[in-house]
Amino acid sequence: MKILVCIKQVPDMESRFKVNRDGTWIEEQDLAFRMNEYDEFAVEQAVQTKEQLGTDVDVTVLSLGPGRVTEALKKALAMGCDRAVHIQDEASAQKEPWQIAGLIAAYARGQAYDLVFTGLQSQDRGSAQVGVLLAELLGMVCVTTVIDFALKGTSVSVSRELEGGLKAAVQFDLPAVVTCQLGLNTPRYPTLPNIMKARQKELLVVPAADLLLEQALTATEKMYPPARKEGGLVLEGEIDDLADRLLAVLKEKTTVLRQG
Amino acid sequence: MNLELSAEQKIIQETAREFAQAELEPVAARMDREDDRGAFLANLKKMADLGFMGLNVRLEYGGAQIGAVAFSVAITEIARACAATAVTVSVSNMVAEVIQAIGSPEQRQAYIPRICSGEYAAGGFALTEAGAGSDAASMTTRAEAEGESWVLNGAKMFVTSAPYAGIFAVWAVTDPQAAKGRGISCFLVEAGTPGLVIGRAEQKMGQHAAATHEVRFEDCRIPRGALMGKLHDGYRIAVGELAAGRIGIGSLALGVGLAAMDYATRYARERVQFGRRISEFQAVQWMIADAYTELEAARLLLMNAAFRQEQGRTFTREASMAKLYATEAANRACYAALQMMGGYGYSREFPLERYARDVRVTSIYEGTSEIQRMIIARDILKSSS
Repeated sequence: MKILVCIKQVPDMESRFKVNRDGTWIEEQDLAFRMNEYDEFAVEQAVQTKEQLGTDVDVTVLSLGPGRVTEALKKALAMGCDRAVHIQDEASAQKEPWQIAGLIAAYARGQAYDLVFTGLQSQDRGSAQVGVLLAELLGMVCVTTVIDFALKGTSVSVSRELEGGLKAAVQFDLPAVVTCQLGLNTPRYPTLPNIMKARQKELLVVPAADLLLEQALTATEKMYPPARKEGGLVLEGEIDDLADRLLAVLKEKTTVLRQG
Repeated sequence: MNLELSAEQKIIQETAREFAQAELEPVAARMDREDDRGAFLANLKKMADLGFMGLNVRLEYGGAQIGAVAFSVAITEIARACAATAVTVSVSNMVAEVIQAIGSPEQRQAYIPRICSGEYAAGGFALTEAGAGSDAASMTTRAEAEGESWVLNGAKMFVTSAPYAGIFAVWAVTDPQAAKGRGISCFLVEAGTPGLVIGRAEQKMGQHAAATHEVRFEDCRIPRGALMGKLHDGYRIAVGELAAGRIGIGSLALGVGLAAMDYATRYARERVQFGRRISEFQAVQWMIADAYTELEAARLLLMNAAFRQEQGRTFTREASMAKLYATEAANRACYAALQMMGGYGYSREFPLERYARDVRVTSIYEGTSEIQRMIIARDILKSSS
């Protein structure tokens, strides 16, 4: 079985962000980068699947971006992926989801992957489109927002997280693309010996320029921080009534009361 | 010139940081206050599983072989969360490394994988005695050959991890007639050997979770094969090993100093007095500026010493400079951080008093600041003569 894991390297979310000069993305120069959290679930699920099925599984981890993304790829190799593909693109931040999915598909097409794992979305851009578009381009089934995954033969049963705390049980056959949501698993720490040994694993560099680039379908016109809110929401009235109204607000506007 | 960590070194730093934040930091304050050896040892085992017990040990012995630079970076990250865990890891690594450096192939095979895998909770380093601290060569613990055995008699002090160390590197006098430092040898003593007595626990100012005990040898009989390295050559080895250990302790101190300043700086940005955040007062700003400048200088000294070690160059002077400066800078940083938090810094409700207690010993153990200055001065004067 051939598994592909698509990962993105994103800025550390603790960073202080600044909109860049042309106002379409963030200033990347002084940021620390790490593997997108949702993609860590994808890597972990791929490695667990390999461990479950034994040696007859080959896991390729793929990332698109500038030179720095080799760090994320090497971490995925240390976690247990077998080989890595780096689609090298210094201008990846200027590409939109259709183009990104197109470049990945241009590489993945013909590789006959049975199963593709990727994060539900990236922590920085957060479009949640690349996995779905990739499935479309590869002509594969796509199941999103997966929080439980079980593979038997070529049949997969998953649990999906829906809005409002609902879940859906879905069954499908391979080949398929699965996008991973928080709660699917707990990503392992790579062991230090494995971090060192990962240097021996194959890391194939494919210049993005060698792959067919799709036309952009959308364009980012402007990036800007949210306007500062004044005061917030003030509830007034009787205690009993206040508690109910607060509960309603928390339920509707936030995720704090949702059941995992 | 390249001051960037490699991809592997960055992944190691990230892994150490995430592990320490998730597993060590949440229990550090409790383990400082109450004895919970079970939790402490469970964390050591998890760290062994990840490769932290053989950072500079070769892969063939079950080590991680990450190099001295990544070693320094990893110890700093661990110490940011828990100094007691960091010192235990640092000492275990030192024991594994001394066995790798001078042990026979049999000794390496027998003991190093057990330290690295966590089968042994830790390794013990038994050098210091009541009458032989900075002046380690004045030790009196004796090892006498008797038939097929060595018989050890004497007492060691300040042995980290003694109650649960699986193996001890022990220095003892084998030739009392020899010139000072020329008649000392190094031995490996397994835990549980009759005559190896774990003595009383030291009641310390800080780093409480790390056990520090007296270790006595009462007609402790070990096989002839327990001699490690050359006979009478042990003191030179001990001094050499301490040079690498010094990078570990300097890195540990840096971690505690950063933890203290990071905490106090966050606090200063929120704490309001006289109608403004105290971070707006120049007095507080200067504390922040001075401490971070010194910690950054410490980091660069440590990186330089570690880099030289990794390149196979001499690094004794650089390791001593790094240890001297990093531990003293970290002490100043913890003191300033505590001051920035005022009464809360002194309170056990906050971690500053723990940081300040934990960091104090770093300019004492594995060579006091005064000894580091002697080593540095001697090395400079020797090379300029």
